[in-house]
Amino acid sequence: MKTLGKIVAIHSYKGGTGKTLLSINLAVTLAKQRKKVCLLDLDFRAPSLATLLKVGKVEHWLNDYLNGVCEIDKVLIDLSETIADQGKFFVGLANPSVEAIRDMSSKDRKWEMRALGRLLSLRNSLLSAKGFDYIIFDTSPGLQYSSINAIVSADVVIVASTLDSSDVEGTRRMLRELYDLFEKKTEIVLNKILYEDSLRSGKEKLQALVKETYEVPLLGVIPCYCDISRAEGKTIFVHEKPNHPFTRIMSEIATRIDKM
Amino acid sequence: MSSQEILGKKPLQILEKIRENLEKLNEKMEIMIELQKHGRRDIQTIPQEAPLDVMTLLSMPDHLRKTAMTVCRLGRATADEVAQQTRRARAVESAYLNQLVIMGYLKKERRGRKAYFYVEKESQG
Repeated sequence: MKTLGKIVAIHSYKGGTGKTLLSINLAVTLAKQRKKVCLLDLDFRAPSLATLLKVGKVEHWLNDYLNGVCEIDKVLIDLSETIADQGKFFVGLANPSVEAIRDMSSKDRKWEMRALGRLLSLRNSLLSAKGFDYIIFDTSPGLQYSSINAIVSADVVIVASTLDSSDVEGTRRMLRELYDLFEKKTEIVLNKILYEDSLRSGKEKLQALVKETYEVPLLGVIPCYCDISRAEGKTIFVHEKPNHPFTRIMSEIATRIDKM
Repeated sequence: MSSQEILGKKPLQILEKIRENLEKLNEKMEIMIELQKHGRRDIQTIPQEAPLDVMTLLSMPDHLRKTAMTVCRLGRATADEVAQQTRRARAVESAYLNQLVIMGYLKKERRGRKAYFYVEKESQG
């Protein structure tokens, strides 16, 4: 019997830490490893997957699903042919219109409670019924309702952090005061690390730092690649640059997540 | 139905009824104990429903959060089912679940001998 898939949330304390880069490339890497993957944009304050994945006309947004207007299969867009090779790759997008962003920012506690229920029910509707191997949530930074809902619904949370001191301190506090309370399996990905520090000896130092500061395992270290900045978000690295070191790192991260 | 069948069935029905009543009594005891613990002896009625959102979960004491999150995840569950997930004793979970009902976060529904706990979502629009 096939084991039930996993829900992975990608989160961070601050913005600009590379959550979306990590989410897209992790999802595509897993799809290329023949998995059936669904990437959901839960960053309702700054939706970006529609632009980055160059999706044209969208009939139903994730906003509609959380509003109880439609079921999740209406929201999912199949991008397998363009991106996934032999796996399956679906996306659910957040509505980027200003009106939708405003609407999502003004929801009350009862709505957020129902939204949590709908996120939790994805375990049945997508993992059990549709046989997805992975659902990946791309979230808003910090302690937003939608992000905490995503964390509560996930099996594994990956926190993206840079070495910026405010990010390190904020992430540390968030892990203690939020994640610990929900008893979530959490791992850290350090991003935008100086290339020299990402090499073997530097990595050991980073590992010790993560263990001491965050008290959770280090899942991966991504150096600050100028190629990524140069691509201006127009390239899905793991798809278009199979030989790039970033693609290799993402492949290692995906393999570790698969073994969890 | 013959008189023998009636005689054979009646004691069983009586025993089942006693067990059902004892369970109901036990639940009432648990609620009374929880009310006593929190110094709310005067509360007779269950308060209005309160939304069980993530911020509420965060503000709960650890022992109740674990129970509440398990019900959120399962959707609808008995104390037995919650206890299996949390690996705590059924009686402990039953007390926590009833406390969450008193606080207005969970609803409780009896189906025969089983009591189901769930988060009321649709009536809270």
